[in-house]
Amino acid sequence: MNVASRRQAAPGFWLVAPLLAVMALGFNLPLVLMLGKSVVGESGFTLQHFVEIFQVPAYLKVLFNTFRIALITAVCCVLLGYPLAYWLRRLPSRWQLLALAAVVIPFWVSILVRTYAWIVVLGNAGMVNRSLLGFGWIDSPIAFLYNELGVVIGTINVLLPFLVLPLFAAMLKIDERLLRAAETLGASNWTAFWRIFFPLSLPALAAGAILVFILTLGFFITPAILGGGRVPMVANMLDLLVNHLPNWELASTISTVLLGVTLVLFVMYLRLTTRKEEA
Amino acid sequence: MRKSVLFNALCAAMMVSAALGSAAVSAQTGAAPPKEIRILESGGPSGDSIEQAYIKPYTARTGIKVTRESPTSAGKLQAMVQSKNITSVLVELGATNVVAARALGLLEPLDWNAIDPAPIYPEARWPDAFGYQYSSTIMAWGKGSKQPKTWADFWNVKDFPGKRALPDYPGYTLPLALLADGVTPDKLYPLDIDRAFASLEKIKGSVAVWWKAGAQAPQLLEDKEVAYSAAWSGRIVGNPKIDYTYNQGLLQLAYFVVPKGADPAAKAAAMGLLHEMSKLENQLVATNVIPYTGASPGIEKLVPKDKVNDYPTTEANKKIQAQADPSWTADNAKLIEKRWQEFKLGL
Repeated sequence: MNVASRRQAAPGFWLVAPLLAVMALGFNLPLVLMLGKSVVGESGFTLQHFVEIFQVPAYLKVLFNTFRIALITAVCCVLLGYPLAYWLRRLPSRWQLLALAAVVIPFWVSILVRTYAWIVVLGNAGMVNRSLLGFGWIDSPIAFLYNELGVVIGTINVLLPFLVLPLFAAMLKIDERLLRAAETLGASNWTAFWRIFFPLSLPALAAGAILVFILTLGFFITPAILGGGRVPMVANMLDLLVNHLPNWELASTISTVLLGVTLVLFVMYLRLTTRKEEA
Repeated sequence: MRKSVLFNALCAAMMVSAALGSAAVSAQTGAAPPKEIRILESGGPSGDSIEQAYIKPYTARTGIKVTRESPTSAGKLQAMVQSKNITSVLVELGATNVVAARALGLLEPLDWNAIDPAPIYPEARWPDAFGYQYSSTIMAWGKGSKQPKTWADFWNVKDFPGKRALPDYPGYTLPLALLADGVTPDKLYPLDIDRAFASLEKIKGSVAVWWKAGAQAPQLLEDKEVAYSAAWSGRIVGNPKIDYTYNQGLLQLAYFVVPKGADPAAKAAAMGLLHEMSKLENQLVATNVIPYTGASPGIEKLVPKDKVNDYPTTEANKKIQAQADPSWTADNAKLIEKRWQEFKLGL
């Protein structure tokens, strides 16, 4: 590093140094110590815990199931979020503000409250089932909750803004003139969208989807409340291993695997978002 | 039988050493009592009952303030002891977790001379744990449903139609599955694990929810998500929409323990709080907050006649329930937990 650039970096660095120190000592160090337990056995260094999680089918199945639910959630968020962001972009700005507020306000409500609210809405004695029964459209209540469907609905509800807001911001940056230029060259609305607009919004969409995927991997409250103990996810298994058994070595091994996968995904996320900014 | 003789001998030995140890400590330090002690408990109405029934008279008698923290867990106890930072001098644990914590060396022996307890059941008097609250895992159903009498009825989906909910804890659910399969309460332990899971396979298709939190069972029954549920007695007794029976309930005891390495002065002060918990008249106050009972016999003489059968430890109810064996459950915790996860995942 040359002198000039160090001078440039210095003032900023000293401003964030206290925060960095707090993060390193208060968060990163305990995290590393905790993860360190994954390679410590009764007689020093060992990989037995890693062997164990890859040999016991239950752990693998829970990990696999977590990734599957994360994938379903990410895909559903894309399918719901993309049209929503596109619609938001085309609204007159006053309505835009109102619609954005509707997207953001749930952020201010506790995730616990929002999750319990689904019981009131979708339960056997909930609004939806009572209405459907009242209209005579169904004979017995539909099981929305205490299965994978319930967990996915609850998770999408919490995570949709994480996809919509950055995607909307990225869509605003797309130059309207490019679309008009395409039209003057004879492209239909449909062609202009698919060949110009969609490719330009794709990096933000992919980044948002990966973000939703990563956040779903760590979901605890939603599967605990809406899964009825029948939708095993990795955070709930960690709760069991840390608080009830307690088997911290195995818990930290599973956490290490999860962290590894998350870091790989995060690198992908960074690639996508930085490439977008360069473009 | 042999085991219990051995156990009693062990208890006696530990009590003597505890008494000697604490005498030595107080002789050495003569430390002044602390102004405040902190305890870690379950929270909810159970925590309120501790506040009303035991902390109030204790603070009135000693002037020592007691701060409650919740919820408790075996993991928090382990974290406190391993980090040598004992923030709570008393920690509430279920019996199985007490046995597991003892095996990990996380417990400080209690000073039973200092506790000087009023009469309590023998199983509440462990060398390193004070049994303070009985509860029972019993069958419950929404008022109006056909009444089951046994777990075999609960398992019988044909004659007792509707979805079921059971605890997501194998330590509770496996004994219930064996009772349903015809095992008698006195022959329950050691649990026949294979037979228990075979019994569970029969009802698995009708179980809508494996619940984790005690509040879920009454909510699921009230919302008609399930017709029948196993539930913790204190969560449903007194609920006007729910019926229940103590017949074949699984009786268990929650304990308070002192974490290893706790400050001797704080520990000495905590013994006084345990003394308050051993008094029947205080336990009655707690029972009015939440219908669990303390460890003293004779609660039926103090409660109103019409409520006598609401409580897990009245003579009549204690007779018809099965007792959990925390030692067996703790010794086999990893095995049954692994089998439990595999069972739920269909492996």
